[in-house]
Amino acid sequence: MTNKESSSSKLKALTSNHLFPLVCLLIAMFVIFSIWSKAVGTNFLQLSTFRNILQSLVVSGFLAIGSGCLLIGGNIDLSESAIGAFGGIILASAILNASLPAGVALIITLVVCAALGMANGLLVTKLRFPSFIATLAMASMVRGVMYVFSSIGTPSGTAANINFQNAFIGFLGTARVGGQNGIPLSVVILIIFFVIFGIMMSRTSFGQKVSLLGGNPIAATLAGIDAQKITIILFMLSGVMGGISGIFNTARLQQGSLLALGTNQFTGLTAAMLGGISFGGGTGGMLGVFIGLCILNTFQIGMSAVGLNTYLVQVFSGVLLLVALAFDFIQRRRAGRL
Amino acid sequence: MEERSLELRGIGKSFPGVRALDDINFKAEGGKVLALLGENGAGKSTLLKIINGDLHQDEGTVLVDGKEVNFTTPQDAINAGISIIYQERQLLPFMSVMENLFVGDLPKNKFGIIDKGKLRSETQRIIDDFGLPISPDDMVGRLNVAHQQMIEIMKAYRRDSPIIAYDEPTAPLTDTEIEILFKIIRKQKEEGKVILYVSHRLNEIFEICDDIVILKDGKYVKTLHTETTNEKELITAMVGRDIGDTYANLDRNTEFGDVVLELKDLKTPYIHDINITGRRGEIIGLAGLVGAGRTEIARAIFGVDPITGGQLIVDGEEVHFKTPHDAINAGIALCPEDRKYEGLILFRSIKDNISMPVLDKLTFSRFFVNFKAEKELAEEAVQKFDIKTPSIDKVLMELSGGNQQKVILGRWTSSKLTTKILILDEPTKGIDVGTKAEIYQNICNLAKDGLCVILISSELPEVINIADTIYAIHNGHITGTIKREDATEENVLTMAMLD
Repeated sequence: MTNKESSSSKLKALTSNHLFPLVCLLIAMFVIFSIWSKAVGTNFLQLSTFRNILQSLVVSGFLAIGSGCLLIGGNIDLSESAIGAFGGIILASAILNASLPAGVALIITLVVCAALGMANGLLVTKLRFPSFIATLAMASMVRGVMYVFSSIGTPSGTAANINFQNAFIGFLGTARVGGQNGIPLSVVILIIFFVIFGIMMSRTSFGQKVSLLGGNPIAATLAGIDAQKITIILFMLSGVMGGISGIFNTARLQQGSLLALGTNQFTGLTAAMLGGISFGGGTGGMLGVFIGLCILNTFQIGMSAVGLNTYLVQVFSGVLLLVALAFDFIQRRRAGRL
Repeated sequence: MEERSLELRGIGKSFPGVRALDDINFKAEGGKVLALLGENGAGKSTLLKIINGDLHQDEGTVLVDGKEVNFTTPQDAINAGISIIYQERQLLPFMSVMENLFVGDLPKNKFGIIDKGKLRSETQRIIDDFGLPISPDDMVGRLNVAHQQMIEIMKAYRRDSPIIAYDEPTAPLTDTEIEILFKIIRKQKEEGKVILYVSHRLNEIFEICDDIVILKDGKYVKTLHTETTNEKELITAMVGRDIGDTYANLDRNTEFGDVVLELKDLKTPYIHDINITGRRGEIIGLAGLVGAGRTEIARAIFGVDPITGGQLIVDGEEVHFKTPHDAINAGIALCPEDRKYEGLILFRSIKDNISMPVLDKLTFSRFFVNFKAEKELAEEAVQKFDIKTPSIDKVLMELSGGNQQKVILGRWTSSKLTTKILILDEPTKGIDVGTKAEIYQNICNLAKDGLCVILISSELPEVINIADTIYAIHNGHITGTIKREDATEENVLTMAMLD
């Protein structure tokens, strides 16, 4: 093979990669917003923009990891952000009301979130509820319980945000790696999580089994893959990732907020599907989810940089989700899965 | 009364790779019950679908009352006075009996609102004709399957169609309902209706039918009259075909080892008192008609259906599998009947489909997949079974049915598994003749390697020519056992069809 042929086949492999159009889209957005912001007299293309984009990824990012893995395994979790918000309230309350040390409070938070995830998993595997319905019900219940929980002991008996002070939690939320203008610690941790989960999904036997299970649950079960066990683990992971997301949100605000993670579930799921995770399961990986997240957040920050109504971001996210679903539909149809 | 009739002239129908029907000619007359009889795949279902407008014939004409008809939808057939009662019930489970009976044709009052009173009284009249213990307001989903099947029959009765076809109507029925059904059929016959009756149950055919049309491999064989024929003649007419020397040239295993599988009075909700013994190197054939319970035996052994009684013994030890995972660990493998949806992940590669059950054994540091070992495993299978593909990364969708089947065979016989018992459910379904012969030889080779193979097939010649021991299954029971040397299509079919 000559050099020319080999480089052209490499190029072909690159362009046929399913992430290629997404990276192109991301680059295109950067170019457009840079020029546009120059035209309106602001500056989009600067280091702080990248930092802001990464910072805004954190909360949705952890959610997207959890729901992304679940989607690959053929299920959906709509309760992840509710579980995360509840986790945030538990964390704040454990520190403020129970005066527990930060480490213990964090562990309690994650255990509760894992247990709620497990409940989802049991509903889906043992009682065979569709995950869409089971987790929708769970989301409603958890948000409700959160309000009840946070109203206990308040003077007026109404639910309220829980403000607290804790050095370690505060450090988690605001510390930066590499000085005052460095990268936020939370971003570094998010990227580490993406790498770990990326390796888990693509390199480990567990990850392979998840995607085979999502690809065809009947065939996978008949080939000896323990569908119930894997599905329960995935729901627990999703609960834990919701919890971590809630912890970082709480840590940044130093407040257990009742309204936490309200719109992040949607962003997380959109990012996962945009990044090539099929709604039908069995395809996609963590790198795609990360790029999907970057696209959504770049748009958000770009819009505000050029001074457009940021509510349009929500419109755009919805449109992107529809586009992603349309592509998914076409691909599944081509693969004979519909 | 005008003379009713349904006539088929030169009907032919092809599907990709299969000639399903070829030059079918017969005439069913009013006031008579005509049976359609043939083995699995003889073409009965395709024929009914053409009569019903679900399919359109490639050649030939359908005549109703002597006039040519051309149906494009089932509604056309209904409008022309044809009602078919299919094996698969087409009921609305959350609706009442009366709504199901009159669906699409509900009586309305002058305001265009459904006339519940009339609906109820009409339904009650039909129920009374049948004499069944149900009420017009019962929800259909709550009725037992026998009564649900009767509702399906009532739907056709209600339409009062002059031409009625019953497709295996008695399969879910008990003796009580069968008696009612036959009473209804006799009444319809007296009214001069044309009645087609498809069934595998010969005693029923002798009881209710006047003439019998025999089909074989999509061709019309002959018409016999129940008064002048007998069971033996029917079975002889259904079987017997030129099988060439596909089977004669097989290189077979002749030496059997220890007993590796024992089923002792095994029961599940679908099978009853199944006793089977399998030795290493032995090929066991399960013969029977579709729905006889062959697949259900496989599912019981593989830990899919719960066992409710009896014993399953593997290698001398009684086992209780909760999932297929447990069964695989005990050395059992299943190639399911529905290869594409139960056996494979079609949009994944050959490699992924082969390594699926042994991923945990292909790791280093316990967690990480050893991609090199995975690749070698897949290449080993490609070589062993001569899977025709340029690469192990090719997705299954792009392979032929035969090569897909070989991928599953490769999966279960890989060096990472210690498969002792291999169950093959319809392994050659939809596979071309040349590849079939290859698969047959593969099966014999696996037996030579010491595997106990359980072969389930609806193609009778396949079972009786490959298996060493053949079990005939009928209605969830074993109705006979025979060695290959003694087996003929005739005696096996007799065991599989007679109660």
